[in-house]
Formats: sequence, structure tokens, C-alpha cells
Amino acid sequence: MRDGEIQASRVWKRFRADRQRQLLRDQLDRARRRMTGTSNGHGWRWALRDVDMAVGPGESIGLIGPNGSGKTTMLRMLAKVMYPYAGRVAVGGRVGALIDVRAGIHPDLTGAENVYLYGSLLGVSRREVARRFDEIVAFGELETAIDRQVKFYSSGMHVRLGFAIAAFTEPDVLLVDEVLAVGDAAFQQKCLDRMRAVLAQGTTVVFVSHDLQAVESICERAIWLREGVVESDGPVREVLGDYRRTVEQAAEVLTPAFGLVRVVKSEIRGPGDTPVSQRPLEIKLLLESPEPLWASMSIGISEGPATPIFLLGHEAMLAAGQTELRCSIPFLPLPRGRFYLWFGIIESTRDLVPWHPVGQFEVLGPELTPTPRGILRMAPVQVTPTWEVEQP
Amino acid sequence: MTAVSSRATEPPADILFRLKVRVVPAIREVWQRRELVRTLAERDLRVRYKQAVLGVAWSILTPLALMIVFTVFFQRVAKVDTGGAPYALFTYLGLLPWTFFSTSVSQGGQSLVVNNQLVNKVYCPREVFPLASMAVAAVDTALATLVLGLLFVVTGFMPKPTTVWVPVLLAVQVAFTFGVTLVLSAVLVFLRDLRHVLPIILQLGLFATPVAYGMDVVTPSLQVAYSIANPLAPVIDGYRRTMLLGLAPDWHLLGPAAVAAALWLAVGYVVFKRLEPGFADYA
Repeated sequence: MRDGEIQASRVWKRFRADRQRQLLRDQLDRARRRMTGTSNGHGWRWALRDVDMAVGPGESIGLIGPNGSGKTTMLRMLAKVMYPYAGRVAVGGRVGALIDVRAGIHPDLTGAENVYLYGSLLGVSRREVARRFDEIVAFGELETAIDRQVKFYSSGMHVRLGFAIAAFTEPDVLLVDEVLAVGDAAFQQKCLDRMRAVLAQGTTVVFVSHDLQAVESICERAIWLREGVVESDGPVREVLGDYRRTVEQAAEVLTPAFGLVRVVKSEIRGPGDTPVSQRPLEIKLLLESPEPLWASMSIGISEGPATPIFLLGHEAMLAAGQTELRCSIPFLPLPRGRFYLWFGIIESTRDLVPWHPVGQFEVLGPELTPTPRGILRMAPVQVTPTWEVEQP
Repeated sequence: MTAVSSRATEPPADILFRLKVRVVPAIREVWQRRELVRTLAERDLRVRYKQAVLGVAWSILTPLALMIVFTVFFQRVAKVDTGGAPYALFTYLGLLPWTFFSTSVSQGGQSLVVNNQLVNKVYCPREVFPLASMAVAAVDTALATLVLGLLFVVTGFMPKPTTVWVPVLLAVQVAFTFGVTLVLSAVLVFLRDLRHVLPIILQLGLFATPVAYGMDVVTPSLQVAYSIANPLAPVIDGYRRTMLLGLAPDWHLLGPAAVAAALWLAVGYVVFKRLEPGFADYA
């Protein structure tokens, strides 16, 4: 097995589904039920079922999926923190795992003491830590706080400390779990830069995140886990695209259970019916209200999730009965792809229509300008510039 | 793009995972990570001294206080045959190994539960946690041993040349302590409530071990069985014989105790390794 290689085959993992208590009383109870054969058989919950994962050296893999889909469990097994119930997990070379970087940090110790503690937890020798101490402190931007007890640190400083130490271990395989969730934007960018540098050195990276943009900016390949099963495994853009669509397909069938006003019909049209990038777009909504009311309406376009790429707001009088709402955009700033239309009438006291997806549509046109690795792109907006390059 | 999905509800029995324990590589790995043991021990010591006003004094307070109590009461109430040595020295030599044992077992026993954050999230050989607790207990014992030197000076009693046997006794003591600590730390992950019972058992252990009294209290015919059940007894007896009385350890008792201690260590290690796959799931 080469350094930096990951081979996981037919991995199964289960956890107790009942209360996680581990008391003598509970153990005796379980033993009694096993012996008398009255075990209900529902004692276990499968976190991973028959998961295969093969990663070559230097690859960058994003593990995505909703909460509870088994991403972190998988990562923990790659890190050898947990053992599978069945199957085989093998990782070649030195493994560096950032699974909750705050775990190894003791609040009663100073930042400097923690640098040594966490360093040796990650398997870096004290001499090595001492040699790179200044670099670590500078990377974490903790020069003024390093001699203070960590319990007086802000949560951002906490994460910076953890990531700074971890970033300087030089593993063959780097496992990263949601470390970017905390910390300010500038530090997030720094972490991404660091991960890219690590990738450039040929390190294998497995990155677990809910932040799909971050996954897209680091990884070439993505594995989507759904209820402990690999749903798809392939190039990052394809998998993320499928994932975004499915997440919202689930949301779409749910017509909101409350809300005074109802969306009867929605329609999205481009110049020749299908919306086209950089061309006009018309959105038509048929609303039904039981009473006349003054409504403050919001239309949003998203890649799937509830966070829109852009919002259109308008206030108008709705009559009792049906009202047709038409909204025209002279210029659609979206690239090729599938997008979702969200709608809501939200007031401070009550939601006349809760924020929910009302339709989806395909946009024709050019592909989005590719994002170089390490840059976080928040939303896909396609702008057509004119370039001039001159040699004076 | 490949879509792999197999919706079986149970894994086939032939691929069930079994942790293969290879003892030599496992021990070598712990040895490679000895710095971590040191760092974890250092962490516990630093944290303790930051919180406590008394600082270093904590290390020697327990054995010293018990020594004074035992000296005042036992010397007056029950006449203990110390073979001519001062009672304070006699009982202090029992308290040192006992305190090391009880601190190791109570702290080390809880080490996996207390460090669950690390057990859950950072990979390292799991043995380092009980080992680090034992290292802390060893530092305490080392400090308390300085007081022993002071006691020798104060009482004007000189340790006998047979003191050279001490390393042998120490080896038996450490092996037994480590074995018990390993078992308890692993079992406590799954039986959390034992944690509350542990102090009581250790309290009783103090009196079931010849700390305040001598080995001669035990009926001679039962002494071998007693030594196997409680390997600390002949160890403590050995310290007294070698340091205070100028005799060699009682091999008839120490021999069986050494075997028992080695068994504790071996069985303890096996139990620990057997339960290890569950540590991160339940800690």
C-alpha cells in the first residue's frame, strides 16, 4: 500500500439506538434480554452500510451528505479513532486528522502550552514543535494571546490555535472535518490556502463539510453519503449538482402546512420559453388569498438550498381570490445549470406564505467561469466582461 | 460516475471486523509515542498546580497525613510489631506504594472516560491515557519519597544495605498497578457507575493491605494465598524487610506475588485490547 492511499471496502458501522448510557444496570438488562431471547432486535442503528472508498495518493475527496448520513463516522474510521463493525479500512502513511480541532485543547493551559500538547497528540515531536513555534503562532494570528489561558480565548481564536498547530503537521493523508465552520472569513481563506498548499505537496485530502462551496473549491472528487450508503461518487461538480437537486426535490413536494396565501401556479419563461443566460426572464405566479391584503413579497433564485443567489422584493395589494403576479428581469445573470425558484410573503408578525421552493428551471447558456482551487465562490453569477490586454 | 448501493440490512458474517492485536508492534507504538505520555502527564500536573494554591504540597499531603494519623492512633491503640524500626517509617513505607496504587487506579481507571474528547477525536495508542495517569502518580510518589528521606534523617534511622533489592519490589508493584489500571480503565467505559464504587473499594483496600500493620498479622498458612490475592502485601513487606530490617525480601511470598502481578498485567492488557474497538463508540 502506497503512502497517501486509502482503501476502505465493504465498511459497516453500527451504534446503539437506545439510550447511550453505559451503566451496570443497563448492561445487566441487555444481558438478561439476550439470554431470555426477548431482545427486540431494534437495539442498533446502522451508521454506514457497505461503504466502499478507494482514494489514490494526492487525490482530494469531498465527503458530503445531510446530517447523520455517516460522513464523520467514516472520517473517524479513516483516522483509526473508530473501528468498523465489518469490512476493512486501510490508510497508507501518516494520517493527520482535524476532527473538531478544539478537542485536544485544554482550557486551563496557556496557548503556548497547548501548542505542545496538541502537537504531541498529533504525533509531532516537541523538538519539531519548538522549531516551528513562531510560524505556528503567526499562522494562528495569536502573537498577543499565546501566553494567556485558553479559557479566555474567543471561539474563533480557539479554532485558529487548533488549525494552526494541525496545519504544520505534515501527513500523507489529511482528514478535515468542518473546521472552517468557525472562524472569520479571512481565516477561512487562509485555511483553504493551507489545504491547497498541502495538496500541492502531494498529500491526500479528505474534506467533510456542509459548505458545498468550500468542498467545490478544494476537491476534485466528491462522495455523497445518504443514510450510510454511498449515493454517488464522481467528479465534484456532477456529484454536488445531483446533491443540490435532490436536497430540494425533497423540499419541493412539501407544500407549506401553514400560510394564509396559497401559491396556485408558478411559471418561468425565457425569450423562447426556456430561460437563457444573459437574456430577459419572466416569472409568473398565481396567488390565492382569502381576503384582500397588503403583501410584501419576496422571490428568490437559488441553486437548491434556501439561501438565494439573489432576491427580488415587491409590495402590492392582493385582492380576495386570485391574483397574478408577473416579474420581469431584463437580464438573467446565471450560468448554465438548474436553479430553483423560492417564494415567500414574510411579515414581522406572521408569514402569509412561508419561504419555500415553488418551482425549478433549467438555464441555457455558457458554463460558469471555472473557479481556481482555493477560491471560495459564494454563488454562481455569470457576468460577461470585455477584456483588454495590452503590452505598453 | 458510479452509483454503488447495496441495501442489505446486515453485513455478511465473513467480513466482520476483528481487531488483530500484535503485541510487539503495539508496544513499540506506545514507546514511539512516549512523548505524548509525558505531555499528557505534564498537562494534568500543570492544570492541577494552576488550580491549587498548595501546588506541589498536594503530592505529599495524602501519605503524610495518613502517616501522622496512623502513627498517632495505631501506635497507641494497637501495638504493631515493627521489628524495632520507628513506626512512622514502618507505616510510611506502606503508604508510598499504596498511594501510588490507589492514585493510579482511581485516576487511570477514569482516564478514558475523562479524556473522552480525545479518545473520540484524535488517534493515538489508547494505552497512553492510563499510562499518563500512572506517570502523574509516579511524580507524586517521587516527591513523597523525598519526605521519606527526611523521615530517615529525623528519626536518625539509617536504611540498611539490603535496600538494593528495592528495584525488584518496584517492578512487581508497577506491573500489578498497571495491570489493574488497564482493566479498570477499559471496563469503566462500559460500566460508568463503577466510578462511584471505586473510592469505596479503594478505602477498603487500604485496610486489606498491610499498610498500618505488618505481614505477621496474617496467619502463616494463609500468607501465600494472601500474597497472590494482594501482590502489594509482600511488596510492602519487602520494602520494610530490606530498608528497615536488613533482610532480603521473603521470596516464598514475593515469588507468587510476582507471578500474580505478571498475570494481572497480561490479562489486563488483553482485556484492554479486546474492549478497545468500543472505546470511541462509547467514551
